[in-house]
Amino acid sequence: MDSLELSTSLSVDKAEKKNQSIRVRLGRLRDSVCESGIFVLTASSAIIIVFIFIFILIKSWNIFAVNGINFVLKSGFDQQIIEAYHAPADKPVWHFGALGLLLGSGLTTVGALLLAIPLGIGTAIVITELSPRWMKGLLQSFIRLLASIPSVIYGLVALLVVVPFIQDNFITSELQLQYIKQFQLTGNSLLAGIAVLSIMITPVIVALSVDAINAVPHRYKEASLALGLSHWRTIVKVIVPSAKSGITAGIILGTGRAIGEALALSMVSGGIGNIPNPADGGVFFLTPILTLASAIINKSESMSVPSINAALFACGVLLLVTCTTLSLFTKIVERSIRRREGLE
Amino acid sequence: MNKKKIRDLMGEVMSWLASSITIAACLGIIIYLFNMGHAQIDIGFLTNEPATTLETEKNGILTPLVGTLLLTFIGTLVAFPWALGTAIYLSEYAKRNNLTETFRLGIDVLSGVPTIVVAIFGLAVFSNPALGFLSSMVEGVQDVNRAFGRSFLVSGITMAVMILPFVIKTCEEALKSVPDTYREASLAMGASKWYTITKVILPTAKNGIITAVILGMGRIIGDTAIVWLTLGGTLRMTGVQPWWRPDNWLSTLKNTGSTLTSYIYFMSPAGEGHQNENAFGAAFVLIIIIILLNLLTDFFMGSKEIGK
Repeated sequence: MDSLELSTSLSVDKAEKKNQSIRVRLGRLRDSVCESGIFVLTASSAIIIVFIFIFILIKSWNIFAVNGINFVLKSGFDQQIIEAYHAPADKPVWHFGALGLLLGSGLTTVGALLLAIPLGIGTAIVITELSPRWMKGLLQSFIRLLASIPSVIYGLVALLVVVPFIQDNFITSELQLQYIKQFQLTGNSLLAGIAVLSIMITPVIVALSVDAINAVPHRYKEASLALGLSHWRTIVKVIVPSAKSGITAGIILGTGRAIGEALALSMVSGGIGNIPNPADGGVFFLTPILTLASAIINKSESMSVPSINAALFACGVLLLVTCTTLSLFTKIVERSIRRREGLE
Repeated sequence: MNKKKIRDLMGEVMSWLASSITIAACLGIIIYLFNMGHAQIDIGFLTNEPATTLETEKNGILTPLVGTLLLTFIGTLVAFPWALGTAIYLSEYAKRNNLTETFRLGIDVLSGVPTIVVAIFGLAVFSNPALGFLSSMVEGVQDVNRAFGRSFLVSGITMAVMILPFVIKTCEEALKSVPDTYREASLAMGASKWYTITKVILPTAKNGIITAVILGMGRIIGDTAIVWLTLGGTLRMTGVQPWWRPDNWLSTLKNTGSTLTSYIYFMSPAGEGHQNENAFGAAFVLIIIIILLNLLTDFFMGSKEIGK
C-alpha cells in the first residue's frame, strides 16, 4: 500500500517536473522570440535613413545627371520652374540651378544663428546661474513651450506682425519703385525670415546649453569663486568655456533646424529665389528670397511635372547631405568629449 | 575696481535682456493668438466643417480637428511599439560593438533629417503602386500607373518615421534611469531577462515612456510639412461621405483631409485663404492643445529635467 502510494506520488512528481520543464522551455522560446523581435525593430529603425537616401537619390537622379555640378552653381530656379511647367510634354526642361536657394538657406541660417547664439547662451546663463531658484523651473517651462510651438504658428504670427512691421518701417514707395524691375518689396524678405528663424532655434540652443552648464562640476565654480573672481567673471571665464562642447552641440542642432525649416520660411521669406546683392545696402535684407526647404513647399503644386518633381527631390538631396554632415559632425564632437573625459 | 563691477553688471544685464527677449517672444505669441483667436471660438466653430468662402457663418474646424487626432493616433500607434522595442534593445541588450554603433549612427542621422525631407521621402515611397492600398490609385491618365501617395494612413506612417528617433531617444533615457539594483534583484530571484524587462524595468520607467509618447504626439500635432506633402491640399475629408459613419472609416483613412496646421496655412495669406480670423481661431485651438501637452509632460516628469 505504502509503496504504491509512493510510486504514484513519484510519477505525479515526474509529470509535474516534465510540465514545468515544458513551461520553462516555452518561456525561453517566448523570450528569444521577443528578443529577436526587438532586434529586428532596431535594425529597421536604423536602416530607414539608408532608404531615405536611396529613394531621394533615385527620384532626383536625372537632375544631377543632366546638370551635374551646375545644379548648385547656376541660379534662376523660379524661372526654370515656370519654363518646365509650360514646356510641352515631348520636350521637358531639365535644366535647373539652385544657387539662389542655396544662398537663401545659407543667409537665413547664418543670420538666425547670429541672433540666436547670444540670445540662447544669455538665456541659458540666466536659467542656470543668475535667476533665483523659484524662477528656474518657470523659465525652463517657457523655453520648452517655445520649442514646441508649431512652425505654422510662427509663420502665421510673423506673416501678420513682422512682415507688416518691416513694410511700414523700412520700405518706402520710392524704394519699391527703384527695385520694381528686380523684385517686389513687400516686407516678405530675408529679414523677416531671419527674425522668425532666430526665435525658432533659440530654445534648441538654450536647452542644450542649460544641460551643458549644469553638467559643469561644481568644484570648478567654487575654485574660481575662492580665488576671488566675481560671479560674472566665473561664468564667462570658467563655466561657459567648460560647457563649450555642449553649447557647440546645441548650436549645430539649431543650425540643422534652421536649414531644414520649410513652412515658416515659405510663409514669410518671399518665395522668390533672388540672390541678395550686398551692393544694395539695406535692401540686401529686404530682398525676397527662397530657401531649399521652403522651395519644396512653395513649388509642390507643380510636382506633377516629372522634371519639377525631380528638381524638388534634388533640393531634398542637398538638404539631406547638409544635415547628415551636421549630424556626423556632432557625433565627432561628442566622441572627442567622451575621449577627453575618459582621460581625466 | 569700479570699472570691473560695471563690466560685470553689464554682462548680467545683457543676459537678463536676452532671456527677457526669449520669454517675451513666447508670451507675445501666446497672448497675440489669444487676443486674435478667442472671439472666434464657439460651439459652431468647433463642430462645423470648413465651408467654402461664400457661406462664412457656417465655417468651422471640425474636420481639421479630427484630422489632427487621426494623424496623431496613427503616428503614435506605429511609432510607439517600434521606438519602445528599439529603446529596449539599445539600452538592455546591445553590446558595445560595431553593429550597435552603426545602429546608433543610423538613428542619430535620422533624427537630424529635416521633416520636409521625411515628407518627400514618404511621398516617394507611397506613390509606389505596390503600396497603393494605403492611399488611392491615380486613374484616368494614360500610361500612368502609380498610387496617389496621399492619405491619412500614408501621412500617419510618415509622421511615425519623423518622430521615431526622437521617441527612441526619450524612451532610452527613461529606461537608463532605472537603477541597476532593480535589474540585479530581479535576475537574482531567478527571473529571466525578458521577464525582468517587462515586469520590473518597464513599469518603473513608465512615466518617462509616457512623456516620450506625449512629446512625440506634440511633434505630430505641430508638423505641417509632412501634412502638406502627404495629406494634400483639401480642407474637407475626401473619402466616401458621410466620413464619420463607421462603414466609411476605411475610405476616410485612405483618402485625404486636413489638420489644424494645414487649415491654418490655407486660411493665412500665405495659403491664399485670406480668412485670417479663422486662421487665428484654429491657431488658438492648436496652441491650447500644445500648452496642455506641455503641462502633461511637466506632470509626468515631476521635478525631473526633460532633455531637449
